[in-house]
Amino acid sequence: MKNITGNLKKDTDALKKLLPAEDILTFSFVSQDGLAFTVVYADPICDKELLGEQLIRPLLHYSGEKSADMIAKSITSPEIRLQNSMEKLAEEVLAGNPVLLWEGMDEAVVCGTKKMFVRAIAEPSTDVAVKGPREGFIEDVKINTSLVRRRLKTGELKIENVEVGRRSKTVVAVCYLEGTTVKRTVEDVKKKLGEIDIDIVPDSSYLTHFLSSRPYSLVKQVGTTEKPDIFCAKIAEGRVGLIVDGSPIALTLPYLLIEDFQSSEDYFVPPYRATFTRILRFLSLVVAIYLPAFYVSAQLFKLQLFPVKLLLTIAGSIRDIPFSPSLEMLLVLFVLEVLNEASIRMPKYVGMALSVVGALVLGETAVSAGFVSTPAIIIVAFSGIGLYAVPNLIEQTSVVRLVMLLIAGSVGTYGIILATAFMLLYLVTTENYGAPLLSPFSPMIGRDLRDSVVKYNLGSLKLRPKTLGSPNKRRLK
Amino acid sequence: MNKISPRQLYFFLACVMPVGKLLVLPTLLARYAKCDLLFPVLVSYLIQAGVVFSVLLASSKRESLYDLLKNTFGRVASIVILIILSIFFFYAALLPLLEQRLFVQSVFYDTLPSLAAFAPFFLFSVYLCAKPLSSQGRVWDILGPLFLTGLAGILVLSAASMDVGALLPVGGGGIGGLLKGFSVATGWFFDGAILLMLLGRIDYQKGTAWKGTLFYLAGGIAVLAFLAVFYAVFQDMAATQYFAIAKTSKYFSGITVLGRIDYVFIYLLSLVMAFWCTVPLQAGIDCYLQPFGRERHLATVLSVAVNALFLVLLYLLNNRFGEVMRFITGPAFWIFPAFCILLPPFSLLLRRNHGRA
Amino acid sequence: MDARRFIKTIPMKLYLILLAVILFAFFSNDFGLVDVQKTAVILAAGIDKTENGYVLSSQIAVPKGSDRTTGGTSSLEIETEGKTVSDCITMLYTKTGWVPKLVFCNLLLLGEETAKDDVFDGLNYFLRNEYMSDSCYLAVCEGRAGDVLSSQSAIDDASSLAITKLFSDAAKKSGKVMPNTLKDFSVSYFGVSKSGYLPFVRMSDQEGSQDAGGNESSGGSGGQDKPQKIYTANETAIFREGKMAGMLSADETLAFALLKGEVFSGTFNAADGEKPVTLTVLENDGGVSLETEGTPKVKLSLSLTVRLCCRGISAPIDDIATDEVGEKVLHSAEETVKGYVEQLWNACKQADCDLFELRRDLYRTSPKKFSELKDLVPAAAEPVIEAKVQTKS
Repeated sequence: MKNITGNLKKDTDALKKLLPAEDILTFSFVSQDGLAFTVVYADPICDKELLGEQLIRPLLHYSGEKSADMIAKSITSPEIRLQNSMEKLAEEVLAGNPVLLWEGMDEAVVCGTKKMFVRAIAEPSTDVAVKGPREGFIEDVKINTSLVRRRLKTGELKIENVEVGRRSKTVVAVCYLEGTTVKRTVEDVKKKLGEIDIDIVPDSSYLTHFLSSRPYSLVKQVGTTEKPDIFCAKIAEGRVGLIVDGSPIALTLPYLLIEDFQSSEDYFVPPYRATFTRILRFLSLVVAIYLPAFYVSAQLFKLQLFPVKLLLTIAGSIRDIPFSPSLEMLLVLFVLEVLNEASIRMPKYVGMALSVVGALVLGETAVSAGFVSTPAIIIVAFSGIGLYAVPNLIEQTSVVRLVMLLIAGSVGTYGIILATAFMLLYLVTTENYGAPLLSPFSPMIGRDLRDSVVKYNLGSLKLRPKTLGSPNKRRLK
Repeated sequence: MNKISPRQLYFFLACVMPVGKLLVLPTLLARYAKCDLLFPVLVSYLIQAGVVFSVLLASSKRESLYDLLKNTFGRVASIVILIILSIFFFYAALLPLLEQRLFVQSVFYDTLPSLAAFAPFFLFSVYLCAKPLSSQGRVWDILGPLFLTGLAGILVLSAASMDVGALLPVGGGGIGGLLKGFSVATGWFFDGAILLMLLGRIDYQKGTAWKGTLFYLAGGIAVLAFLAVFYAVFQDMAATQYFAIAKTSKYFSGITVLGRIDYVFIYLLSLVMAFWCTVPLQAGIDCYLQPFGRERHLATVLSVAVNALFLVLLYLLNNRFGEVMRFITGPAFWIFPAFCILLPPFSLLLRRNHGRA
Repeated sequence: MDARRFIKTIPMKLYLILLAVILFAFFSNDFGLVDVQKTAVILAAGIDKTENGYVLSSQIAVPKGSDRTTGGTSSLEIETEGKTVSDCITMLYTKTGWVPKLVFCNLLLLGEETAKDDVFDGLNYFLRNEYMSDSCYLAVCEGRAGDVLSSQSAIDDASSLAITKLFSDAAKKSGKVMPNTLKDFSVSYFGVSKSGYLPFVRMSDQEGSQDAGGNESSGGSGGQDKPQKIYTANETAIFREGKMAGMLSADETLAFALLKGEVFSGTFNAADGEKPVTLTVLENDGGVSLETEGTPKVKLSLSLTVRLCCRGISAPIDDIATDEVGEKVLHSAEETVKGYVEQLWNACKQADCDLFELRRDLYRTSPKKFSELKDLVPAAAEPVIEAKVQTKS
């Protein structure tokens, strides 16, 4: 590792050699008593106004010792670091922090005047709450950690920054409450982060692969949230939170499946209402996954699942359909997925037209033309809506729905039962950071069931979830 | 995860074990014991409760069956005993699998499906049997409530069509009927023997033995309640009603309008049954894995081999359920009592490792 | 090292093979399945015994297509012959190419001739069939069951739907019909009583039906020129050992329903002097018990709470407002009901039909006495009839 020499010209050249890009600029000036300075900075990401105000202006009038300590004291920026490694200085420049070099220096001064490109804090579109806070994370790790800090005004909140990504050097803030989170979990998370050897980390979702115990699994194993209030609540329960620079989606560990059935709003409404909506979410998901499958298997293998009048209505509807019931359902499901995918990616003004095309042209016309039947469209529409009742699990559940449909169309209802048994077995054996995915249902933990499908009154939730094994058990006195 | 907590064990005893006794057994008992069908099951449960208690008490030694056998008889003898035991488990698995296949054909399909329709079960079984029996512990946490919901649903829907008087007169089936009923029931009562394979894997706590026995008897009460409802619904026709659990609730008046809503409960119980049917197979495979070590590849190979064997057996014995049942409850009647009543209590006499003791 | 790598990739290869098998089965749809399009959904079946075996008349539901303007159920009737009912079902498959499905069969209709022999000769198939619901209604009809099923109903799209309407819970509560299901009838047949009952369906022309345009939504169950029919089932056929042994008139059927305590809001006629009045049953308590001391006695007791429903003549406003039933009318009602019960008992005695399953009750409570008395009930039992009719004060 190369260190600075104290020779301004040599050191400037050495730094420029490490950073040959054209947007890395230098600015040289001389102080009142003739001391020569050079500032090396990255033009697009350095705040030049702050650079002039806080660094250059005070030094123009500087007349004192050449030591780094004395020079640093005369700079008015609140964020100053001393550094003598060339590589580290280059990293600072690339991070947007200008580096100050001068003749005869023992260490260079790094000034925290990077330019902040941030959007305003807004309500996240994927996690809307009618009641409760509306703030959402943005892409800047500092602002995000400040949102967390504002909610947890305690010295126990630890925020440790870890760099991940060989080239991106993405800052990952590991947040946890000391004394509340199990130390082992924190260490495991940090260890796994340290072991990641990846080029760049564009988003937090990149990290989920490395933080999961079964990385190739379809099952979600890392919790996600865009809202600081949820993030803080999860940390306060004893979880570790990760805020990744450049991503508005924060991660929480360990993850329990039940988390995605809990909405932040559940804690702001009466418990009976929260219980009702949780049951609704659970049933919606069950319906979304199983309805198309059961519809197909009932038609193919077990007509008795329909009441006779419904059966005759369905039989009438599908009489002229050229496809088998399973293929018809697959087709409609495929169209739904395409519409869904297209509507997300398309510009908003085209999106409206797309809904019309989807609803009218594809739906109504396909029925009239005898391509698909009305019941099939109703079933898929119902299933599609049901899936959105638990938005955080859409990626997983839409695949499970498809698998169930394939099994229903080939083996029938018994296949669905076996696939469910498979899924159940897989889910109960999945655990991450010592927490079983299906907890508190399996292993059954009576205390934690109070905030599961059923939501008890806040007064009954005095203790933190046992599953997470927090050493600080009591949260309400 | 490889230890079974007492709660999981209780769910297994009270909710998973009874599920295999709700398909063909009620029908056969109705045929032989008629309105006395409760008594053979009651007697079998009481006997098995004693066996269950003894095995659970033996589990307080916290050593596996193989270790206990090895400490007492030495390695070779213990391997021989485990191989004999594994053959028994495979033998015991035959009847539940055969009836399960017929149940699937009857309840999940409107017309007689292809024989291949049951084959996917063995895929599931291969996956499950490659894991130790104790890995099912967490599943039992889920299956317990599912069983309770399913059975309660079926009993409630069946209530309106019951004539409880049909269970009279007591003794209507005659002594011969009772004895025949008891001999038939033995084929379904291998619960105590299964528990032998859980020795050393139960997180034994004070009172687990008697609590476990009570939960086992609670499961027995659930079976008896179902048997009573079954006979009260079908009375003299009960002997023709195979796959009892799928039959009693179909007379619920709402079914005309809503369709077979009772299938929701039947399917819940089918899910529990899928797990139960693999238990004797898993226990049989475990008999080999205990002495030879739980190498992942060995477990997988054994699981594939055993399940493939049963797949072939099931096709060979297609439509021969009656003959198999007659053999098991007829000339080979003694096998079940020998392995399920006489043998398991001896686990209490097996020696612990002296170092630990 | 290579072997290890190979073993490591086995699960992935197995998943792929499994996926391929599932996809193959999914797209080929060939797992021995019979989907709804290849199925004959049998709504009702009629069984007629012939010299050579049986004629099975199946009423098959026909889907109407996706046209939303038409409602209801179309049906067509197909008759098949065979030595057994099973033969007839197989013949149905041969004739139509549809796989017959009996799971939705809600009515089994027995022809008059069929009922003269043991009806379980024909019903045997349905009891053995795992894919048949034994909760379907069972009834006997006048003449051929095939003729009744293929007739054009005046009130519904399909004759079977019109007939099953007669067996609704509301109709049952009126006491005018005593519906029975295959399962319940079989339970009585296989039980110690070996007796049972079935509603008897008669068909008659709807007046002026030839002129009427018919039900617009009706489908294939008969041409437009067929006379429209209406059905009644207020009589009850009684059975002994599976054979029809007698017939209960409408009044006897009402008495039977009253004794079973199943009547709510049913009506019957009494007399107020010489003028007829109709009474509505508000509460009904009935029971039949056997006394085994000495000569067996059968106690048939009834207790009714009634309200005046109609006098059949003009009445003053106070009379209409109060609905009071005078003592004279109550007495007449008691006598009427007693008469019905007596007729009912005599009909059962004549047919040796243990309609009230007294033998079964005796067997359950006292098996010893059962073996002594089983042949004496109801033939040698003395009836003791008690009827109490009161008005709601």
